[in-house]
Amino acid sequence: MDCLDVVRQLWEYLDGELTDETMQEIRAHLAQCRDCHPHLDFERAFLDAVAATRREHAAPHLVRRKVLAKLRAAGFEM
Amino acid sequence: MRMADPHEGDGDSDRRFEREALPWLDDVYRFALSMTRDEADADDVVQETYLRAYRSWHTYAPGSECRKWLFTICRNVFLRTRERERNRVDVAGDETHLEALAAVRATSTLRGGGGEDIFSRLDLAPALDRAIGDLPEVFRVTVVLVDVEGLAYDEAAAVLGVPIGTIRSRLFRGRRLLQEALVVYARDAGFVPANRAPSPCTGLA
Repeated sequence: MDCLDVVRQLWEYLDGELTDETMQEIRAHLAQCRDCHPHLDFERAFLDAVAATRREHAAPHLVRRKVLAKLRAAGFEM
Repeated sequence: MRMADPHEGDGDSDRRFEREALPWLDDVYRFALSMTRDEADADDVVQETYLRAYRSWHTYAPGSECRKWLFTICRNVFLRTRERERNRVDVAGDETHLEALAAVRATSTLRGGGGEDIFSRLDLAPALDRAIGDLPEVFRVTVVLVDVEGLAYDEAAAVLGVPIGTIRSRLFRGRRLLQEALVVYARDAGFVPANRAPSPCTGLA
């Protein structure tokens, strides 16, 4: 497995969505290839940044109140 | 006259719904907003999602993934209430390879010119948030489910009712589009030069 093969699959590697065999091959490549590490660090930081956008959107209190009102109208008892 | 619900007025069932379903309201709202891109529409979708979830609570298997179950209902509510044409985009195998190369280029572009620490030096959250919102719906929903909400590929496939290979290709293209948006953002912020040397690892410019 060369550098391009590794870099092409970095996202799935970081997601843990490759076969055990491929995960091991990439892990072995990364252990001995310094060139690929910046790619790995970059992609990890990128995915962390995307995941961090989660904090941007919580349901507004008004939506929560509307949901509860609708549920109560349907018989829900808290 | 309202139709009778199998669990209407069932205190134990309601308490279980309150304990297991309601805590996911923020997650469902985010997912709804990722589809509607409109807060008022997301508001409606979330209300309808919870109403349907409550009315079909007797079909929910205790101990299963409640958030995934709610996402599935939310997706169906969105598709039915908006009657939006599904924007199907299939990526062929060969094209996936080209997408991979494009992603490498985008990564190399961001990494070049001292962009390695772009994530620590720039507040990317607003730019990423906008870029996610600008993605075509099929990519946006996939990115939100996997990258923001943390679902596994097979879980996202179940929520969206598509094969796992579709999730892989949509996720790949969605992420690549986000990185392209970041390239523009980084250049505007003066972090990445217009011309740069090829990556030493891949040789891709």
